[in-house]
Amino acid sequence: MSNPAIELEHVCFKIGVFEMSDFSLSISQGEYFVLTGPNGSGKTLLIKLIAGLYRPLAGRVRLSGRDVTPTPPWNRNIGYVPQDGLLFRNRTVRGNIRFAMEVRRITSKRIEQSVDRVAQLLKIAHLLDRSVNGLSGGECQKTALARALVFEPRVLLLDEPVSAIDEDSRDGLCHDLRRIQRALGIAVLHVSHNRREIDLVADRIGILECGRIARVDARESPGANPPSEAAGESRE
Amino acid sequence: MPSSPRASYGKWFDILLAIPLAGYLLLIAGLVCAIFLAITPGEVSAALADHDIWDAILLSMITSTLSTFLSVVVAIPAGYILSRHRFWGHSLADTLLDLPIVLPPLVMGLCVLLFFSTGVGYWLDRGIVEEGLFIYQPLGIVLVQFIVGCAFAVRVIKSGFDALDPSYEEVAMTLGAGRWQTFYKVTLANVAPAILAGAVISWARIFGLFGPVLLVAGTMRGRTEIMPTTIYLEQSIGHLGVALVIGAMMIVISMAMLILFKRFGGKGLIW
Repeated sequence: MSNPAIELEHVCFKIGVFEMSDFSLSISQGEYFVLTGPNGSGKTLLIKLIAGLYRPLAGRVRLSGRDVTPTPPWNRNIGYVPQDGLLFRNRTVRGNIRFAMEVRRITSKRIEQSVDRVAQLLKIAHLLDRSVNGLSGGECQKTALARALVFEPRVLLLDEPVSAIDEDSRDGLCHDLRRIQRALGIAVLHVSHNRREIDLVADRIGILECGRIARVDARESPGANPPSEAAGESRE
Repeated sequence: MPSSPRASYGKWFDILLAIPLAGYLLLIAGLVCAIFLAITPGEVSAALADHDIWDAILLSMITSTLSTFLSVVVAIPAGYILSRHRFWGHSLADTLLDLPIVLPPLVMGLCVLLFFSTGVGYWLDRGIVEEGLFIYQPLGIVLVQFIVGCAFAVRVIKSGFDALDPSYEEVAMTLGAGRWQTFYKVTLANVAPAILAGAVISWARIFGLFGPVLLVAGTMRGRTEIMPTTIYLEQSIGHLGVALVIGAMMIVISMAMLILFKRFGGKGLIW
């Protein structure tokens, strides 16, 4: 049996008044796991902990079986999309997507191939040479997603990636997320508050309350029958 | 169809508030014009033919540029640390940084002179070169210019770091950028306008610095004379025309720097 893609083992963590003790969670390779729960329950902190932006006081964090607890974020090979995208304003869409490849000192030819491939996958090839300042919310998030996927991470961490965009674009992006996750076979940890968004993407749902997983629900066929598609709306 | 005009209420309210602005602008324009109207072509050509004045202009440009460069080199890491970290003594460090801004420049010059009269200061000044490195030397000009200019540069550059959400750096690190790569590819790249503004503010302050330069480096013709001290020297020996020409040159150089700054991206940050 293969190692879980993300594994937290008896993790203890404290920041300010927030505390998480003896926290364990396991997400399989190729699984789409959605974490939900009330504000302040520790969802974003958990994502940052896995990304290496915070360190646990005790316990282990493993990615694809490798203990990454002491590993800095740049050596974890994870893709991370924050809530508001946080695109680099001094770069174009292409420049943002290229970033992860540039810092890995990959040849220009290979960078361009990877950028084109991920832009096709997310249907943003027409935006590549645009400044990020004029992008819509959905385009921003797709660019942020492309930037996080271009170096082929094994794990994708999404912190409310569609919360700041309108409902129609949100549905479309959720379908895109699920399609890409299946195509790449990567594990996704997605933080969300939105019930519909969860229905569209989740394989399993974890409900986080005060730093503890209160319940985990498995779903049989996520996004199999999204209501708007059932009503005959076109997505493209 | 023409676009709808923006609703405007209280026209007299705006006009009343605009009066102080117009008055102040007139005052500045009047003062600048006064210098240009007071100088004659003969005084300009006499000043331009004087080698000592050219030496002063050259030394002014070299020392101002060098001390601005040093100020920015120190202000970037200092501004970053003060912006991103809270440490023991942070408030004290922050207050100390404001000291060269609020302290009268002459007092700052006296402090420098006093320092070089102590054991450590004397060794630093005379330990390597017998005639001294700083006191009555061009390096002394750079030192006092740096002390004053660096505080301004740190203030402006730190405000740039304050305005940049640290989350951008976090995202860069998750994308594979190490600490140094994140710093120069994301942090510095996004704070570049603030760095440029810091350099210009620092240069503007340094370029006109007079009191502490006079105290520490004196004003020796062809050796430690810079443009502000030339004005002092010339008017003290009754050559008011030459002093006015140098003043007008300083205005032109300062204006050229501001225009260059606005042209190359500084607009919108502090102007």
